[in-house]
Amino acid sequence: MGNRVRQRIAGVVITVWTILGAPELSRAEIPTLLQKLNLTGYPRVTKPPEFNGRAADGRTISLASLQDQVVLLNFWATWCQECRPEMPLFEQLHRKFAGQGLAVLGINAREGISAIQKYVKELGLTFPLVLDPRGEINAAYGVIGLPATFLVGRDGRAVARAVGPRDWNSKEAFEIIRALLSEPKQR
Amino acid sequence: MSADNPFSQETFADSLKLPYPLLSDFPDRKVIRVYGVLNEQTMTAIRTFFLIDPQGMIRKKWILANPATDVVYSPTLLKDIEQIVNTR
Repeated sequence: MGNRVRQRIAGVVITVWTILGAPELSRAEIPTLLQKLNLTGYPRVTKPPEFNGRAADGRTISLASLQDQVVLLNFWATWCQECRPEMPLFEQLHRKFAGQGLAVLGINAREGISAIQKYVKELGLTFPLVLDPRGEINAAYGVIGLPATFLVGRDGRAVARAVGPRDWNSKEAFEIIRALLSEPKQR
Repeated sequence: MSADNPFSQETFADSLKLPYPLLSDFPDRKVIRVYGVLNEQTMTAIRTFFLIDPQGMIRKKWILANPATDVVYSPTLLKDIEQIVNTR
């Protein structure tokens, strides 16, 4: 095969990849992908705790209301220094994948709405931030250090957790999100 | 052992890199109640240490009335554990 033909094939593959995104990945590949971002996976039968909370914009959001979507739950606070660099990354994930079925949610830890609204404005965040004034959602998820992030599949199962920060704007993170988005909707 | 759900305990253990298992008594809290350390108002366990010997007998217990200020130091626990081990 000549070099020109090879280059043409490579060009077509890259173009298709760019337009359509990565091809659908099988469920068996997800544990491998999780390891690349140092995420801890859950057994397939694990259900995340249900919650119902009010977001900073006044909406009421529950986990059940996000049925059929891939959910990224990030626990954070305005005083948390390691949380701050992650927030713009979650905003990018929200903008990039919301249309494909990713719901990015921030769960605040015991702060008042005015502190949260100031932070939202400063960082230009548009994804929903749920208030947890009594720390009940934080307790249900066992969060004792921030940040902590959980992924939930379209079928409602807990997929993985990250205790501490990760690079959510990385090739590895995109691969995980794409793999979860390619799964069928069934709860 | 605590009244927290297993999902919550897993995150907790991961955060602290605990090398020992945590047991969940959620949702019934049967064991916590049987041991007499259930706070009926909060439905959580009162922070307590039980020291059980190889014959299954409770040899010692420490109840922390105020977990924010009360502490059971490791040397205290170790001293009693050594005593049990040495009298076997």
